[in-house]
This record gives sequence, structure tokens and C-alpha cells, in this order.
Amino acid sequence: MSDDTFIIYEEEIATIDAVLKRMLKGAEAKCALLVDKDGHLITRQGFTHSLDTTALAALLAGSFASTREIARLVGEPEFSVLFHQGKKDHIHMCIVGERSILVVIFDDRTTIGMVRLYAREAAEELTRVFQSIVERKDADPGISDDFTDKAREKLDDIFQD
Amino acid sequence: MVSINYSAREVCCKIVYYGPGLSGKTTNLQYIHSKVPTNTRGKLISLATEADRTLYFDFLPINIGTINGFQAKFQLYTVPGQVYYNATRKLVLRGVDGLVFVADSQADKMDENVESLANLQDNLVEYGYNLEELPLVLQYNKRDLPGVLTLDELNARLNPRGVPSFEASATLGKGVFDTLKLIIKLVLDRAKSSSATAVARRQRAAEPGAERVAAYPHPIRRPEQPAAAAAAVATAVAPEADTAARPYPGTDTTRFRKPATSSLAGSSAGELPAESLGRSITPAISSVDPADSRLAPQMAPSLRRRGDTRKRGFFKRVFGIK
Repeated sequence: MSDDTFIIYEEEIATIDAVLKRMLKGAEAKCALLVDKDGHLITRQGFTHSLDTTALAALLAGSFASTREIARLVGEPEFSVLFHQGKKDHIHMCIVGERSILVVIFDDRTTIGMVRLYAREAAEELTRVFQSIVERKDADPGISDDFTDKAREKLDDIFQD
Repeated sequence: MVSINYSAREVCCKIVYYGPGLSGKTTNLQYIHSKVPTNTRGKLISLATEADRTLYFDFLPINIGTINGFQAKFQLYTVPGQVYYNATRKLVLRGVDGLVFVADSQADKMDENVESLANLQDNLVEYGYNLEELPLVLQYNKRDLPGVLTLDELNARLNPRGVPSFEASATLGKGVFDTLKLIIKLVLDRAKSSSATAVARRQRAAEPGAERVAAYPHPIRRPEQPAAAAAAVATAVAPEADTAARPYPGTDTTRFRKPATSSLAGSSAGELPAESLGRSITPAISSVDPADSRLAPQMAPSLRRRGDTRKRGFFKRVFGIK
């Protein structure tokens, strides 16, 4: 729902990062991104410095959303795994819980089978983490009054014709 | 929904430009992209057809900088306006925080505007959103064209609720930033008000929730936090430590693992096991005799030429040829 502000605290990201690191090590993949279905990047691990992760997150979420719609048209509730094969690099995507997508980018040093195996196990673990995030409803979202006021001042500086 | 990431210190909001086909949604983003400083914006991504009509969405990330220690990020999306792209148009609305409805001010486009607004309402309902609750700004575009409808006429048909509206000409850039600034303000105001309700809910809630927040004091989130609470951190991380200590599924077995010998050596030599590689290569290397004349470096061309001249001198000497 649009009313819910999605908040992730530092210790939760640390837990998620630890899961991703173990997955990368086990599957010998290049990098992993955790993307919200809305297109926001939640966290990333591995060699992501050369990647435009913001754009990647938005496009991957879009790709997943259109695939879900295709699934519905052919009578499936959802395609839970998506795989893009390239010449050198490949992308494996799988769904995590209700609202996130685990994206693993890998090359020929490993195999799709290894990535699938470790990604599935990581997804199960992350689903539990997200469950606890969703259940924790009563935390302080942290946007203070002066945040909006300061943002207003910045807007006038940045957006000038 | 507004996404707040305390680890990356980010607040992320999604703003969608909606409207009928050819009303100027992509032009709005292109103008913003061209005028905003490069350190503020990311790359403009357009998933468009060959005729430059939006097929899926355009995407422009904007980062207005650090506020109270948090990066305020906004992701601007447009939708494909054509009627038959409704399936993809609906997908872009997922998780929207604020809407800009770009209407075409020309008289013959009014029906398309009305249809698109109704379509927006329908698509939002499918996600469980209510257009009346979402921040919305109307932009009456193409005001520079002759024979456009007056503001009163446009408001009467499109804006019965009286939401904020702007006159604009996206190609000239008029009204584009006014629209953007207002929608960002409305989105942040809404995030603030939803934060106020969340705080109220927390105060009403039982104590365990409050304890949990206190266990992880955050300098930005809780400026009023007493310093003594910081001491609680060390004891509070115990549950995570337990999770970390648990062996990761699969790591304790060798069933699915590749052979432990260096996978790099294996892959570079056509998947041969490392031992057989060693055996086949070593004899070949040991049979090479460094004194073998065939392997000695060849004479440089200049030396060979010098040898030839010496030979010529020998014939001169013996046969007296001059």
C-alpha cells in the first residue's frame, strides 16, 4: 500500500549484506543486487563499482514487472525466476518474499546451476528477514519537519531555468 | 511508497508523469535532464520505439543532495501515453509516491485528457491506491500553441478537486521546474505526515517496540536519544550473531561443489584436472636443452652482412681479383 513507508535500518542491511556475501562466495558470482519491486535499490554486494546500479535497479524491476504480467496472461501467477544469457555475463533474477528481487550477475567462472542453488537458499533466508521488517510497523520513519523545509530551500537552488 | 534506507542514508521517492499520448511527458524529463547540474541527475533512460514514442517508461534519477545526513533521491518516470499500452502503463504506477498529470491544452485533445485521467484512476484502484490521497499536480502543457483552451475551461473538465496546476510549455521549459518543485514538496509533506501517524502509533503501541528502536540509536533518526542507550548496542546484536554463526546451507557439504583445486587453472586449460596437466607439461619442459644449437638465437642481419664482406676479401686475396 502507498501509506506504508518502507524503512530499513542499518542492522537489517548488515544482515542482508551478510547473506548476499555468503551467496556470492558460494556461487562464485560477480555481484548481487537486491531491488525493490518499485525499482529502488535496497543494497548491493560484489563488484558493482562499474555499474550504474540506480538505472539497473529501475530497469530490472521493470523487466520483472512486465514478465509478471506476461505470466498472468498465460495463466501463471508469477514467473519466480528469470535468466538473461549474454556472451560473457549472465543475469539471474529471483523473487524474494512479496516485494523484492534478488539479482545475481555472473560469468563463465561459475554455472547457472550453482547460481540457482545458492540464490534460492539466499532468497529463503532474505524472505525471513523481510518478514521481520514488514512486521515491525511501529518504528519512527525519520523524516523530520526540518527535512522538508531544508529540501525546499535546496529545490530553489537546483531547479533554476 | 517512500523508501528510507538508514544504511545507505537515503530517502527514495518515485514520481510518475502521467497523461495522454504526445502531451509532453518525456519532453518534461528531457528538459529537466538538460537543465539540471550533472552532479544532481543521473542518466535519462528511455525505453522507446524507433519513432521515439515511449514504449515502457522513461527514467531519470535526481539527487537533490544531503539533508540532515540523508541523500534525498527522486526517481522520475513517465508512462507510455498511447491507449493500447495500458498493460505497461499500469506497471509503472507500482509504488508511486507522487503524480504529475500532463494535459494537452489543445481543444481537440480534451477528450484524450479526460480519458487518460479516468484511466489513471482505474489503474491506481487496481493497486489499492486512491487518487484523492496521492500528491497530484496538474500541468497544462503546450500553452505556447495558438488556439488552446483557457485555464477555466481546462480546470472545469480536469480539475474539479482544485489540485495545484501550472501552465507550461515543456519544449520551452516554461513551468517544468515549477511543477517538479511542487510535486517534490507535496511528496515530502506527505511522507512527513505519514511519519507523524507512525510516531503516534508507536506511542500507543506496547513497550517492546520502543525498546527495539532504543537498542539501535541513530544520530539522525533520534537526535534526542540519551547517550546511555548507546551502551545497549553491544548486548542487542546477539540475535544477528546467532544467525551469522549458523552454517550457510550448502557450505558444509561437498556434494555441489566443484573440485577444490584451483578453478582458474581448470577453466583456462579446458577443464583438465590439475594433476594430469602437471604430468603432461613437465617432461616437455625438461627435454629442452639450453645448449641445443637449433634453439640458439639467430644471428642478427647486420652480423651476417659483415661475414659476407669478409668472405669477399678472402677471394680477393687468393685469386687476385680486383
